[in-house]
Amino acid sequence: MFQSRVEAMALVLPAALFAGLVFLLPVVVLLAQGIHIDGQWTLSAYVDFFAKPLNRTVFLRTLKLAALVTLIAAIIGYAAAYATVSLPPRSKGRIIGLIVLPLMISPVARTYAWIVLLGRTGIINEALVAIGLTDEPFRFLFTETAVTIGLLQLFLPLMIIALISALENMPRDAVTAARVLGANWFQVFWKVILPLTREGLIIGGTLVFTGSMTAYITPAILGGSKVLMLETLLYQRVTVANDLVSASVIAFILMAMAFSANFLLKKIASARGGK
Amino acid sequence: MKTRVLTFLPLALTLIFLIGPFIVIVMAGLSSGNNLAFPPPGLSLKWVIKVFSIESFRASFAMSMFLAIFGTLAALILGIPASYAMSRYKVPGSETVRLIVSSPIIVPGIIVGLALLRYFVVPLSLSITLALFAAHTALILPYAVRVVSASLNNLRSDIEEAAVLLGASRSGAFFRVILPNIRGGVLSAFILGFVTSFNQVPVSLFLSGPGVRTLPIDMIGYMETTYDPSVAALAALLAFLSIGIVFIAERFLGFTRYV
Repeated sequence: MFQSRVEAMALVLPAALFAGLVFLLPVVVLLAQGIHIDGQWTLSAYVDFFAKPLNRTVFLRTLKLAALVTLIAAIIGYAAAYATVSLPPRSKGRIIGLIVLPLMISPVARTYAWIVLLGRTGIINEALVAIGLTDEPFRFLFTETAVTIGLLQLFLPLMIIALISALENMPRDAVTAARVLGANWFQVFWKVILPLTREGLIIGGTLVFTGSMTAYITPAILGGSKVLMLETLLYQRVTVANDLVSASVIAFILMAMAFSANFLLKKIASARGGK
Repeated sequence: MKTRVLTFLPLALTLIFLIGPFIVIVMAGLSSGNNLAFPPPGLSLKWVIKVFSIESFRASFAMSMFLAIFGTLAALILGIPASYAMSRYKVPGSETVRLIVSSPIIVPGIIVGLALLRYFVVPLSLSITLALFAAHTALILPYAVRVVSASLNNLRSDIEEAAVLLGASRSGAFFRVILPNIRGGVLSAFILGFVTSFNQVPVSLFLSGPGVRTLPIDMIGYMETTYDPSVAALAALLAFLSIGIVFIAERFLGFTRYV
């Protein structure tokens, strides 16, 4: 092992300086804009921000959609991951490849596909009319439903992958043992699978929740100005009104929520896991 | 039998949900019609050909390629020595350094772009191209450090000590022993960085000027004004590009081992 600290510092410094100067410093200055107004330290920008009904709506909508996407992703994720791990190794590898594949594709392309599918003359509306479920095509685009579907497709692979590795680490016979001892499927899931895969669920959940909350493209394309979320609101405040104070407040909220989601989920894990 | 259906039906539906949109994009891009539609009235390559004739796509594609290649190289040039020092030396405050270097991954991209534009580019009156380059380098740096660190940790440190004992200089040992041994990790970091940079939107959102745009930003602008299948064709081409790169990397490197 080498011992020179000077050498070590010289190797680390370029990267640290670069990230510090180009990234950390500007972000800190941006965050300061929201609490340092007209030469005074104040929280008035935050009070003003939440005083506006539109901002409150956007804030709550962002939380709600991120939570909803995480919940649906967890439900689908368990079903898909459970089926995947019970496959023989060869086909398991292929299925995992297919699950990961969408992650390689540009989010713009993936979101764009939903415009084709969900549009007034899209295949989903045509099918609904054809089977006589509705006479008028549904308006999917620029609704919360469209944004939820888009976000789910974007982040679901992360949840499934996290749950697959959690299920693989689970003792193989736990489910069989519970079934033999007379547990029904609901009990097996609630009392055996869920506690044993909690960590995977937390990792997947954090990735999906923070990802959905800070997504820009999907709300911008599928939600437009009708379904603003915090990121699209931030973009609008800056480009339309040149309002850096609001942008700073939103930036802080986004970062605070991302960090506290991480922190909270870790807490829950250690409190209930007892490890 | 019934339980088998109950187990695998959800997986099949999930895969349709995940992969279906990609197939839709490809089919819509190959449409012979003039409007965006699925299923298309017939198949043709006319929109694929049209994509190549659109001047702004060519310019923004070149910009995206430039950023993905050189941004990733810059991130590796900064990241490899840092990872090496953190894995081999006792760096004072190495946790702080790790946090600073990996912070661009935690902070939402749109905030990075805005902060960089307002408090770095404008005050120093830098060019937008330079700002995009810096932003993409910062974005890729955490991935580079993580992947390179992982492959350094898998490498036994005694082969390096052996090289030094046998008379190699410190840097000689690095370039002739360490670097060849972590080649796979470095290439994986490059591919991951390339795909991340090429597909990313939020960081570049605020950093666009006249004639200076990345391809995804250009695509969003185009699809807001035009409703023809050319964006679908372009999106399909890009998807195949990304998948192709990752597939080749996986074949030859076992890429996912490092990620």
